[in-house]
This record gives sequence, structure tokens and C-alpha cells, in this order.
Amino acid sequence: MELLYYETAVPAGFPSPALDYMEERIDLSRELISHPLSTFIVECTGDSMMGAFIPPRARLLVDRSLTPVNGSIVVAVLNGEFTVKFLRKNEHRCWLVPANSKYQEVKISEDMDMQVWGVVTYIITDTQDLRNCMR
Amino acid sequence: MYALVDCNNFYCSCERVFNPKLEGRPVIVLSNNDGCAISRSDEARALGIGMAAPAFIMSEFLDQHQVAVFSSNYTLYGDMSQRIMDSLALFAPKIEIYSIDEAFLDLSELRKTDLRQFGFNIRRTIRKNIGIPVSVGIGATKTLAKMANRHAKKHYRPASVFWAADPALVREMLSSTPVEEIWGIGHQYALLLSRSGFKTAAEFLKAPEEWIRKNLSVVGHRLLFELRGIPSIAWETEKPVRQNICTSRSFGQRIADKTRIAEAMANYAASCAGKLRSDKTCCRSVQVFIQTNPHKTDEAQYLRSVDIDLDRASNHSGEIIKAALRGLDLIFKPGFLYMKCGVTAMDLVPESSVQGSFFDGADHKKSRHIMRTIDQINQSAGKEVLRAAAQGFERPYRLKTDYLSFRYTTRMSEILRIKN
Repeated sequence: MELLYYETAVPAGFPSPALDYMEERIDLSRELISHPLSTFIVECTGDSMMGAFIPPRARLLVDRSLTPVNGSIVVAVLNGEFTVKFLRKNEHRCWLVPANSKYQEVKISEDMDMQVWGVVTYIITDTQDLRNCMR
Repeated sequence: MYALVDCNNFYCSCERVFNPKLEGRPVIVLSNNDGCAISRSDEARALGIGMAAPAFIMSEFLDQHQVAVFSSNYTLYGDMSQRIMDSLALFAPKIEIYSIDEAFLDLSELRKTDLRQFGFNIRRTIRKNIGIPVSVGIGATKTLAKMANRHAKKHYRPASVFWAADPALVREMLSSTPVEEIWGIGHQYALLLSRSGFKTAAEFLKAPEEWIRKNLSVVGHRLLFELRGIPSIAWETEKPVRQNICTSRSFGQRIADKTRIAEAMANYAASCAGKLRSDKTCCRSVQVFIQTNPHKTDEAQYLRSVDIDLDRASNHSGEIIKAALRGLDLIFKPGFLYMKCGVTAMDLVPESSVQGSFFDGADHKKSRHIMRTIDQINQSAGKEVLRAAAQGFERPYRLKTDYLSFRYTTRMSEILRIKN
């Protein structure tokens, strides 16, 4: 974030008692993005993750440097197509699991081409959109 | 020891990160104005598509082989490059960014014994974190590192890492590198060497030193040292100070109308002024040129340029545009179909040392403040939201970019959309 410096006038009356305590204002992108070089922002357009509070139009912060674990929400590439799902895995196999009963989970078999593109770290949604998740 | 890290088919690889369907398919990226291929995926190379192959000549061939074609998206490639370079800087204390997709690392201060493993680590990290495949060459000098990188690409796939660690490995590499592939040799010297019977880098090393000094001057001599493993090429971490700043482009289609050319000229002038401001320099003189298409041999040809001296060195968009348009007035001749125009800011001086002229009463502090404010607004609100009226709005001369992908990493409105 760019800091703006102003030539502040010195108050003629009392100096501000807060002057010695001034700090930089909170910068959300610094708080939420621990690895800026490997973090990308994507937008969801489908409803398969409504139960995980990811309605259409939600923006996701995706960190490619993280290694997904069982239960991670991931951006995956399945047969050339991007998708956002829960990753369920054990020692032997893994599944891509939606958070919406309208959709089926996908068991990843040998002949499928599946790669995890990145791990979702934060979900940014408009509260208006979020209401659709509560129905 | 030095490492050269080079991104494989960089522009094509950037497109693939956001479009995984392109994996395994031939992909090419076209030059400015969609002229010719400047980046080719391995599959496109295998089809025999040459570098600088003109796109319009091969359009049928491209369709037939389902080649994915992209206009160059430098906004995206620039950001991906920066992510990669910043990541590489975490691997070694000294890094020299050599081009948009290549960087040298100085490994001399690293306490690592297995540099091949170090190379694998770089490759794995960049691939995972950013999505771009890279090759790593490691050698005792920059020239050997560059050669090792080529060797890795040619003979050590898919690992794509080669460390010229011992004399045997160095020999293997030197003897399989033709002299024309030695970094910095130049076309003339390469020709001379191979005509004189020195066909590979290994044979070049065996050439008598006297002969090299006599025939290849100091360049050849320095290369000889580099190939022997004695660093002789300076490390350049500082960006070289630009001597002049040029913006010139071909039009999307040829233009006869002066007002349209003036609009393009104003835009290029504004772009020069912006670069001057970000370098904190001013120019004392502005050169402009206009040109017809030299390849259309049946049409009347015209090419002229002129230098306009400024009263006072400046980086103010308005002043640079004014000078450029005055130049255009001087050189424009009606009756030609123009293909290209350009603006060069010349005779640069640091912003801080600009001297006013005695007769000039303008309020420079105020105008500097205005430019700074405009730059800030444009930075936060989007490129060139505020601009001089002379720059126009429609830009009919604009580059052809028919196959442009999104600027996924720099525009909120163009981020990757996923139907989940």
C-alpha cells in the first residue's frame, strides 16, 4: 500500500496528545496475504460451494505455495477445467467434495487428470450475496 | 559459481497458468500488432513454427493444427516476471535480472555443496508457487551458467537442471555447444571461428591465445577467460541509467489523416513523459519520426524525423506533447499512407538538476505538482483515466490485439473466474 504524506500544519493551540502514538493504519491485504508472490485472486461463479459460504461472485484468495491437507478448500484443475471444492484425502486416494447437496462428490481415480492449483486461504463476499447461502 | 534461471517459453507458460486447457496443446504468442510468433510452446516448435514466423502467412496452418494463438499481454507477463524475480531473490544474496524471463544468481556466498539439488529446489518452487516451468544452468562464470542452461534444456529434460560441476561435465557441455551458441559471441566472430575450424566451444578453448587476441579482439579474449572458468564479465545489479526513452509503434492499419497521427503521437509523447517521471529525469530535446510501410514497395515511401529542443528540460506531459506535435507539423506531408510514428525523449538530465531559463516565467513547482497528482490518480483509478485532450479517446490507430487474454493479476475486473 502507498502511504501518503501530508505537510501537516502545527496546531496553534494544544499539540495533539496522540502525535507520539500514531501508527500506520491497518492494511488488509498485508494482513490476509502472507505470501504475496504466490497469492492470486479469483472469482467464483457457481453455487457448488454455497454450504461453505462461497456464493457466486465471492472472491477467493488462493495461495499456490501452500500444500493442501484433508479438508482444505482448493482451486483444482480437473480434466483441464478449474473448480473450487473441498479436498478430502487419506493415504490411498482423494475426493473433490462440493458443499451443496445438488452436486456429487468426485472420487479421483488413476485415469483422471487432477491437480491442485492452489489453496483457498480467505473468502471475500458481499453480505447481500451471503444471504443466498442461508436459505 | 553462478546460476542462470530461465523461464521456459515464458509468455506461453504465463497463458497456461490461467488456462490449463492449453496444457499439451501448441500455443504461440504474437508480437505487438499481432505480427509474428515471439513465444512458442514445445508443441508449437514441434510443428515447425519458427520464431518470427508471420502470423497472417500461417493462419490456415494454425487453424488446421488447432494452435492456440495469443496477442502479447505484457501487463500479465510483467507481473508474473516480477513474482518470479522476487522469488528468485530469496534464493541468493545477489541477483541480476537479465531480461523479463532470465536472471543470474551469484552463488559464491552460499554455503551449499550440492548445487544441482539447489537448482532442483529453485525449479520446484517457481513451478509450484507461480506455475511457471524454469530451467537452471550452473557454472563457474556467467557465460558457463548461460551455456549450462542451454545444455539443461537440450539434454537434461525433464529435470532441466545442469550443473557443470567438474571438468568432465564442463567438457561434455563445451563439446556439445556450437560456437554460435556461446553467449555474447556475435554473428561475425561465430562465423570466423567455425570457418577457421573451431566449431564447438571446446574447440574454441583450444584455439591459440595469440590467434584469438589477433582475430577476435578483446571480446574474444574475455570469452576465452569466461569459458576457462575465470569470471570476466561484470555483475550488473543496478539498472543502467537510460540514455533516452523511445515510444514508437506500428499502427493497427495504415493512416493518411494527420489528426489521427497527431493523436497517436500525443499518446507516445505522454508515455515518454510518464517514463521520464518514473525515472526522475527530464529531457532537453524531443525527436519525432513518421514512416510509411517499407514493405509495400509499390507505394510511395516517406520517412522523416526532426529534433525539437525544449527551452527548459522537462518531463511534463503537456510540454512533451506540445513539442512532439510541433515536430509533426514540421515533417508531416500529405498524400502518404503512414505505418508508424514515434517519439524519443533525448538528452536526459536528472529532475533535481533542471535549470530554469531566464525568460521563462511559468510556475514549475505548480506544474510538477499537477503531474504528480495526475500520476497518482491514474495509478489508483486505472491507466490514463486522466490524460491530455490531444491524446484522444478512441485510439483508432491502436495495436491489433485480437487474441488478448485477461490481465488476471492486475485488474479486479479481469480476475480468473471459476465456475464451481
